[in-house]
Amino acid sequence: MTKYVIKRILYMIPVLLGVAFLVFTILSLTPGDPGSIILGITAKPEDIAALNAEFGYDKPFLIRFFNYIGDIIFHFSLGTSYQSRGPVMADIMSRFPNTLMLAILSMAVSSIIGISLGIFSAVRQYSVMDHVCVVVAMIFASIPGFWFGLMLLLLFALKLGWLPSFGASSLKHFILPTLTVSLTSAAGLLRLTRSAMLETIRQEYIRTAKAKGASEKRIIWKHALRNALLPVVTTLGGGFGASLGGAIIAETVFAMPGMGTLITTAIRQKDIPMVMGATLFLAVLFSFVILLVDVLYAFIDPRIKAKYQNGGKSRG
Amino acid sequence: MKKRFALLAAACLCMAVSMTSFAADKTDIVVAMDADVDTLHPTDFSTTVELGVLNQIYDTLLYYSPDGTKDPEPRIAESYEISDDGLDYTFHLRDDVTFHDGTPVTADDVVFSIELYKASEYQGSQISMLSSVEATDEHTVVCHLDAPYSPFLQGICSPMIASKAYYESSEDDFVNNPIGSGPYKFVSRAKGSNIKLEANEDYYRGAPEIKEVTFEVIPDSSTKAIALQTGEVNFAEIDSATKPQLEANPAITIAEVPTSSFSYIAMNTEKEPFDDARVRQAINYAIDRDNLVAVCYDGEAEVNSNICAKERFGYSDDQFQYTYDPEKAKELLAEAGIETPYDLGEILVAEKYSNLATVIQNDLKAVGLDVTISVKEFNSYISDLQNGSYGITALNMTLEGDTQTLEMAFTSDYIGIANNARYSDEEMDKLFGQARTETDNDKRAEVFNEIFTKAQDEAIYAVMCNPMTLYAYNSDLTCPEFVLEGNYYLYDFSWAE
Repeated sequence: MTKYVIKRILYMIPVLLGVAFLVFTILSLTPGDPGSIILGITAKPEDIAALNAEFGYDKPFLIRFFNYIGDIIFHFSLGTSYQSRGPVMADIMSRFPNTLMLAILSMAVSSIIGISLGIFSAVRQYSVMDHVCVVVAMIFASIPGFWFGLMLLLLFALKLGWLPSFGASSLKHFILPTLTVSLTSAAGLLRLTRSAMLETIRQEYIRTAKAKGASEKRIIWKHALRNALLPVVTTLGGGFGASLGGAIIAETVFAMPGMGTLITTAIRQKDIPMVMGATLFLAVLFSFVILLVDVLYAFIDPRIKAKYQNGGKSRG
Repeated sequence: MKKRFALLAAACLCMAVSMTSFAADKTDIVVAMDADVDTLHPTDFSTTVELGVLNQIYDTLLYYSPDGTKDPEPRIAESYEISDDGLDYTFHLRDDVTFHDGTPVTADDVVFSIELYKASEYQGSQISMLSSVEATDEHTVVCHLDAPYSPFLQGICSPMIASKAYYESSEDDFVNNPIGSGPYKFVSRAKGSNIKLEANEDYYRGAPEIKEVTFEVIPDSSTKAIALQTGEVNFAEIDSATKPQLEANPAITIAEVPTSSFSYIAMNTEKEPFDDARVRQAINYAIDRDNLVAVCYDGEAEVNSNICAKERFGYSDDQFQYTYDPEKAKELLAEAGIETPYDLGEILVAEKYSNLATVIQNDLKAVGLDVTISVKEFNSYISDLQNGSYGITALNMTLEGDTQTLEMAFTSDYIGIANNARYSDEEMDKLFGQARTETDNDKRAEVFNEIFTKAQDEAIYAVMCNPMTLYAYNSDLTCPEFVLEGNYYLYDFSWAE
C-alpha cells in the first residue's frame, strides 16, 4: 500500500510539468501583453515596453518558461504577480481557505442530502416520496446557480434580513454560498446513489441475504450500500477536486474571494505568474484528492485492497 | 399556515423599520468596490478603484476640480506662484502637515514624491513635461519646466505626497501598509475582500466626521444592489440596470454624475471610404444618439457629438452638434459618390461594446450602409486597434484631466495609441501645440474652440455620448455635489444628525 502511494506521488512530477508547460504555452499564445493591459489603451509604447521589461516579459518564451520552473525548484517560489507585484503564494493563501471551507461544507451538505435521499428513494422505489425526491432533484439539477444564489440572497438577506449578503468573514457568510453549491450537486448525487442502489439491490447476493433471513436494515447498510457506494465516491472525489478550483458563480454572487475568481481575473489580465501559480497549486491538490479517493476504495472494497497489495508485492 | 405568513410579514416589517432608523450616531461607512485593488502604491497604480482608495489616504499639493473652471484649492501647498515665463512653479508648503506616523511633511518628501511619480510607468506621463524639481528650503518646492506647459498645474495636483524616510526604511511597508498625510489612515487589508481605514484625528483641515471606513469588494451588481438595500453597504457606484430597483427604495439616494469619458465610432481615415469627410459626416448624421443612449445606457448618458464633454474647459455651444438626420446622411453619401446599398465591411468591437455595434449597424443600414459586426476578446481587440487593422470601430474612452489630454485622440504622435481615427493633420498638431503653451485662459479657450470646431467640421470621429457615473447611497448620508468625473473624498461626507 505504501509503495503504491509513493509510486503515485512520483507520477505527479511529470504530470505537473506537463500542466505547467501547457498552461504557460496557452497563456503566451493569447493576444496582448501584460504591460499594455495594465496601462490601458492610452499608454505610451515606451511606458508599456518598460513595464514589460520590468516583468521580464520581453524575454523569449522558452527562457521565461525555464526561469519560471527554475524559480519553483530552486527558490520554492511561485513568482511575483504582474498585477499586484506581490508574491503569488500570498494571494493564493488569502483566498484558498475560503474556497476550501466552501468546498468542504458544500460537499458535506450535498453528500448528506444526496446520499441519504438516494438510498431512501431506491429502497422505497415508486413510492410517492421517491417520485417527489426525483422530481425535486431534477428541478435543482437544472436551476442555474447564479439565479438560485440571487433568489437565496433576495429571500434571506433582503426580505428576511437573517443572513449577510456578501463576504466571507464568519461561518454565517458561508450558509448561502454552501446552499447554492450543494443543492445543485446534491441533486446529481441523489440520482447517482439511487440508480447505483437500485442496481445493487437486484444482485444475487442481496437475494441470498434476504433468503437467509437478514433484516432489511442489515441488507441495506451491510450488503447493498457498500457495493453501491463505489461510483458515488468516485464522483464525490472528482467533484471535490473540481470545487477546490472554486465555485466561480457562488464566489461572484456572494462576493466571496476564492480561487475561481482569482484565476479568472488573472487570465483576463494576462497575469501569467498568477495563473501558473494557482493552476499548479490546484493541480497538486487535485492529484492528492484523486489519490485519496483511490486509497478510500481499498477501505470500501476489500477486493481493491487486495489488488493494491498484490501490485505492490509483484513490483517490489 | 396563514398564521405563519402573518408572522413572516410582521418580521419583514420589523426589519424594514429597524433598518431605516439605524443612522443615528453612525460614524462608520461601508463603500463598495467593483474589484479588488491590485496595489496601494501611491504612484504605481492603474485603476480608478485604486485611485478611489488612495485619495482618502494620501493628500496632494493642491486640489484641482476636474471641470477646470475653478482655481486649485490649497492642500499641502498653501500657495503657489508661476514665473512670468511659465517655466518655474513655486509651491509654499504648510508647516503643520504631518504623516500618519507623526513625522512632518517636508519639502524633501514632496520632491521625493514628485520624482517617484514622474519615474512611474503607471502615472508618470501626466507630468512628463517636468524637467526637474528641487527643495529651496524646508517649506518651498520649485518645479522647473523646459518649455511652458499650461496644463502643468493640473498635472502637478496628481502626485500623492508620501514619506521619503518611510520609503527608504521599507519598500514593502510603503506599498502594503501605506502612510500618507490624508484624512484617513490605513488600518488593514484582506486581499480580495476589504480595506479598512480610520480617521486621522490630527488632519490639518480638521478631523473627518466619519471615523471608520471599510471598502468592500463586491463585483456583482445585483449583490451590490441588495447590500445597499440591507444597509450592509452605504455608498456604491452602480450600473444603470440596477438603478430602477434602487430608485424605488426611499432609503436610497441616487446621484447622476457627468463624466468626460466618451462613447464613439472611430473611422480609420487611412482607409477608403473613411478618408472622405463627407462619408464621416454622413455616418454622424445617420446615428440616432437618443435611441442609442436609451438602448445601450438605459438613458444614463448625455447625448453629445462633440468629443469634448459639455462640462469641460474648451467646450462651447458654438461648436457644431450633429443630430439625427438620415436624409442629410443619404445626400452626403450621394455627394461623395457612394452608391447605396454600400458594404462598409466589418465594424470591429470588443465584447462589452457589442450592444453599441448592434444599434449602429441598424442606423447605418437605414441610410444604405451595410456593416457586419465582428466581436473580439478585449485584448486581441486592442492589438487590432493599435495596429490599425480595422475600418470602423466603436468603443468608449476616458481621457481625463486637462482638455489638453484630448490631443491623444487627434495628433499624429498618438496614431497607434489613442488616435483611433489615425488622423494626421499638420494644422491640428499645431493647434494643440498652441494650446499646450498658451497660459492665458481666454486665449486658450479660443484655441480649443478652433480645435473642436475643426474636429466637428471634418467629422473626425462620430462621438455619441458621455456616459454618466451613478452613485447610490444611504439617504441619511450627506454627500457634497459630485463634480465632473465623480471623484469623491469621504472627508466631505457626513451622516445626518
